[in-house]
Amino acid sequence: MIEFRGIRKTFGPKTVLDGVDLSIPDGEVFFLIGASGAGKSVLIKHLIGLLKPDSGEIILDGRDVSRLDKDALYEVRRVCAMVFQHSTLFDSMTCAENVALPLRKHRGLSMREALAEARRRLETVRMEAFADRYPPELGDGMRKRVAIARALTVDPRYVLFDEPTTSLDPVSARRVDRLIRELSDNLGVTSIVVSHDLQSIFSIADRIAFLYKGRLRMVGTPAEFRASDDPIVQQFTRGLAQGPMEV
Amino acid sequence: MGSMTSTDDSLAARTGRALLDAATDAGGVSILAARLLQRMVPPRVDGPELWRNLHRMGVRSLPIVGVTALFTGGIMVIQAGVLIRRFGAEGLLGWGAGFATLREVGPILIALMFSGRVGANNTAELATMVVTEQLDALETLAIDPLAYLILPRVISMVVMLFVLTIYGDVLALAGAAWMGQGLLGVSTATFWNGFLETIRVWDLATGLIKSVLFGGMIALSSSHYGLAVTGGAPGVGRAVNASVVASATGIFVVDYLATYVLQ
Repeated sequence: MIEFRGIRKTFGPKTVLDGVDLSIPDGEVFFLIGASGAGKSVLIKHLIGLLKPDSGEIILDGRDVSRLDKDALYEVRRVCAMVFQHSTLFDSMTCAENVALPLRKHRGLSMREALAEARRRLETVRMEAFADRYPPELGDGMRKRVAIARALTVDPRYVLFDEPTTSLDPVSARRVDRLIRELSDNLGVTSIVVSHDLQSIFSIADRIAFLYKGRLRMVGTPAEFRASDDPIVQQFTRGLAQGPMEV
Repeated sequence: MGSMTSTDDSLAARTGRALLDAATDAGGVSILAARLLQRMVPPRVDGPELWRNLHRMGVRSLPIVGVTALFTGGIMVIQAGVLIRRFGAEGLLGWGAGFATLREVGPILIALMFSGRVGANNTAELATMVVTEQLDALETLAIDPLAYLILPRVISMVVMLFVLTIYGDVLALAGAAWMGQGLLGVSTATFWNGFLETIRVWDLATGLIKSVLFGGMIALSSSHYGLAVTGGAPGVGRAVNASVVASATGIFVVDYLATYVLQ
C-alpha cells in the first residue's frame, strides 16, 4: 500500500506539487497522467527518496519514506524499483552485464552466476538474443525492455515507470504495455506508470490520477475518466488542442 | 562546480566569484575524499569494477606514457649536451638525467599526460552518467554510486599512476642513455655507472611519493567535477574543461609543496 499525504514540493518560486493526497492499493496498475511539467515524475521520485517533499508524508508499507536515512532508503529501493524514461542502462556494460549488476550486488552471486541468471531474466522480456550487445546498439523499445528486466532483478513489489512508451513505435509500446500488465496479473506487482500515452492509459490501467496545477484533478477508473464531464479532463483524455486547459 | 549568478561585472565581483567558486570546489573535493574514506572502512570496493578500471586506466595508458617518457629522456640529453661537451663532464650525464627524471620530470610529465588522458575521460564519463540519470539509476537499484563507481576509479588512478611512473622513469632513462650515446658519444656503461654511483633510493622514492599524491589529486578532482555537473551536454564540456585546468594546476601546486617537504 502506498499513500501520499499532503505532498508539497517547490523548486525556487515554482510550486510543482501543492498538497497531493493519493492512495494506491497493492497489485494495481495505476497511471499518473497530466501535462508535461505537471509534476508527475517529481511525485514518483519522492517514493524512492530521490526527492524530499517540502512537507507531507509518503507512506510505503507503513513507513514514512521522506524521513528515512540513506541506508533505510536502500531497503525501500529493493522493494520499489524504477524504470526511467530514457532507460538509463549503463552504456559501458552489455545488456547481460546491466541485468547482472544488481544480482551480484544484492544476491551475492558471482559474475558467472549473475550473467547466467541475467540471460534467463532477459528471456522473460524477449531480449535474450541481445544479451551481449551494448545499449547504444539497441533501439529505444529494446533498451526499455532491458531496463525493465534490470529493475525486476531485485524482485520488487512496486515498480515505477516514468513514461515507459514515450518515443517508442506503436508495436514496441504495446509490448511494454503487455509487460506492465503481466507484472500485475502474474506476479502481483503494483505498477505506477507516468504516461501521456492515451492508448496505454485506456488499455491497461486499473485506475488513473490526473495531476493538474500541482493538485489531483481526478482519480478514477478508465471508464470513469471516459464518462467525466470535467472539461479539462475531457480535453486531456481526448487529446484536444483547444480547450480550457492551461499548460 | 561552484558558480554564482550575478550581473555585477566589476573586477572585485569577478575576483570574489572566482574565490568562492574555488572554495566551493575545494570543499566539494574534501567532502568527496571524506565520503570515500568512510567507504574504505571496512573496504567496499567492487572487484570487477576495480579490475576494469585498472586495465583501462593503466594498461591502455602504456603507449602514450612510453612515448612521452622516451622523448623526455632524449630531450634532457639534448639540453644538457652543450654543458656536458663544454666541461667534458660525460660522467655526470647519468647522474643529471637520473636525478631530474626520478625526482621531478618523470612524475610531473607522466602525471600531466595521465591527467589529460585518464582524468579528463573520468570527468566526461561521470558527467555524462549524471546528466543521463545513470547515477540515479544506480541509486534506485540500491547500489551506492560512491562505493561502486567512484572508489574503484580513485584506487585505480592512484595505483596506476604509481606503476606508470616507474615504467616511465625506466623508459626516460633508457631514452637518455640511448640519446647520450648517439648524440654525445657517452657510452651506456658510463651513463649507468654515473647513475648507479650517485642516485640514492630516496631520489626514486621522492618521485614515487609525488606520483601517489598526483594520482589522488587527479582522481578526486576529476571525479568531483564529473559528479557536480549541471546543465546537460554543455555542462559536460564545462566540467571536463574545469577538471583539466584544476588537475594541471593542482599537479604543480602539489609538486611545489612536496618538493619543499621531501628535500
